[in-house]
Amino acid sequence: MKYFLISLVLLISFAVSAEQDRYEFANDEQAQRFGELTKELRCPKCQNQNIADSDAVVAKDLRDKVLTLVQEGKSKDEVIDYMIDRYGYFVHYDPPVTPATLVLWVFPVLIVIFGLGFIVIRQRKAAVKQTWDEQDEALLAKLIAQNQRQEQS
Amino acid sequence: MNRKFLALLPLLAFILVCVFLYQGLFANPRELQTGRIGHTMPAFNLPDLMQDNKRWQQADLEGEVYILNVWGTWCPTCLAELGYLTKLREQGVKIVGLYYVQSYDADFDGAFDMAALREEVSSMLSRAGDPYQFNILDLERTLALDLGVSGAPETFLVDRKGTILLHHTGDINPRVWRAKFAPIMQELQP
Repeated sequence: MKYFLISLVLLISFAVSAEQDRYEFANDEQAQRFGELTKELRCPKCQNQNIADSDAVVAKDLRDKVLTLVQEGKSKDEVIDYMIDRYGYFVHYDPPVTPATLVLWVFPVLIVIFGLGFIVIRQRKAAVKQTWDEQDEALLAKLIAQNQRQEQS
Repeated sequence: MNRKFLALLPLLAFILVCVFLYQGLFANPRELQTGRIGHTMPAFNLPDLMQDNKRWQQADLEGEVYILNVWGTWCPTCLAELGYLTKLREQGVKIVGLYYVQSYDADFDGAFDMAALREEVSSMLSRAGDPYQFNILDLERTLALDLGVSGAPETFLVDRKGTILLHHTGDINPRVWRAKFAPIMQELQP
């Protein structure tokens, strides 16, 4: 248990040191904006990494550019627009709503509505009240009796 | 009827997913990078690769249709396309090189070894063919960034007014030229 705790503490301290920044900013807000942007912008070369993650030359260039722009006091949207101007919508992990991408937003909602509708219809069918009167009771008793006789014979 | 349809629904969904994934096999994710198409060439002021004291600006390139080819000696695909590009030059296509320096970092490397780079470039071009009218040296990749270049080779087609009409990622070969470049070139230079 002791060793487990020690290794846990070590792990946590590693994670913290990895988060340390080697860039310098005028204020915390800029540092935070830089962090958010490098996580949100996509590396055009290694396409499933953001530019904070990637070691490609172009990712480093983009990182440096984001740093300069942030230090100049540009807002988050301005930096994103700057990158989209050059690398297309592709460079941002949050695609805009256009006719081509509309399906990404509409399709999941449609699926959920369809599924809910399906459940509701099934529920309604199952909840239909069934009639049960003396005649049915007598028929049931007769069938049970018949069945018992067959088993005995 | 309704029952049957419901029973077929999973199969239908399966087929749809299959079609979607199958066409994904042939989609080229690098085709999407088209941020600069339709814009004019960004302004720049960069040195020539081979000559001292010679600088190139955006205005120097205007007035002619040209191909801007991003390349580097470190890039094997660039070497592979030099032969075909040289053929295109012989057919009268104006090709300008944008030399993409991959390894240089001003923060770490200090002074840049220009002589070594020039030697490397001329030895490669004399072996594989020289398609370039001249080469622009983009040491810090600023023009490359403004053009939305993600690596090499990448190729742009620019018209007389300096509008970027095409941005191709990957090598130029006869197939790519016929499919993407030739139709636009024909329109521009009948």
